[in-house]
Amino acid sequence: MDMLLRRARALYTERQRIAIGAIMIAFAITTYVFYRTPLTEIPGEIPVNVPEGWVAGFEVVYSFNTAGFILAVSVMLFFYAFWTWAFLPTPATIYTMGVLRGIFGSGVKIQKRIGRRFRVVLDEENNRYVDITCRMREPGTDDWFVYTVRSGPVRTSNLEQIALRHGLHVSNRRLCATVNNDELHSRLVLLATALAKVR
Amino acid sequence: MCGQEHNNLDTRLVGLMNEDPRRAAYELIQLMSSLNDTKRAILLALAHIYPRSVSGVQLSRLIGYSGKSRSLYRGVLSHLEQDRMILIDQLTPKLYAIRINPEHPLLKVLIEMCRDFGSEATEVYLKALEGT
Repeated sequence: MDMLLRRARALYTERQRIAIGAIMIAFAITTYVFYRTPLTEIPGEIPVNVPEGWVAGFEVVYSFNTAGFILAVSVMLFFYAFWTWAFLPTPATIYTMGVLRGIFGSGVKIQKRIGRRFRVVLDEENNRYVDITCRMREPGTDDWFVYTVRSGPVRTSNLEQIALRHGLHVSNRRLCATVNNDELHSRLVLLATALAKVR
Repeated sequence: MCGQEHNNLDTRLVGLMNEDPRRAAYELIQLMSSLNDTKRAILLALAHIYPRSVSGVQLSRLIGYSGKSRSLYRGVLSHLEQDRMILIDQLTPKLYAIRINPEHPLLKVLIEMCRDFGSEATEVYLKALEGT
């Protein structure tokens, strides 16, 4: 694995630890904030044959405090999920941009998008581009930084043959491939070659 | 004799592909060198033992893979299958038969070459399979 990616991975695990620690602290604080007395009851009938202690317990759970608490926690979790989905650690971005510029030239326009996506615009008028999406880790494996590469829609009759001959597959009239970080460069070269052939 | 073998292969490949065999060889080199070492090892091993198929555990021994075969399935193997370089048949819920795709325009050239020149390597691979 490239040095930059190693650093990105270390940074990512570190940040994740910090984020989880922060969420635990925030969780404790939210619990404190919402369950300080007085409880704001949600009015409703309480069954008669339930013992006193149970009723008191239910009153704690069945209150606006709980509603607020759940809301606060889900907002926290949402931001955490968004943060892990949206951004690639800087060293990994530098690595990916370096590889892309190495293949498509330093003058080419590369859009960075939210959700760890990159779009290399090859030809703006004819709507030709290459999308690269990075996943931090492949679920169920030890693979880090797996990229999904797909071209823009291509209209050629023998697209399937061209794709197979360049180690790609066709999905929805696009040339696609899932590549590991150590093959990113070489397989993007093949994709660029294939795109040059179908032009 | 070796030259004759080459000629035989050449004529067969021309028949197979309707094109210059050097072109196929060039594209095959490009393809193989673009893959990472795990994928390359898998394709070479499977091409040598074709038409046999292997299970995930056998395959990971064959290529000297130290990780779990399950992580091989979820990662590398599924990517190779996506790109139609290998075929995976599910025999039972836990047992898969993995083999190289003989319909792939470049890999069929590789299979053809392995069959003609790789008999020793095939023996090595098959011996490794017997051990498992």
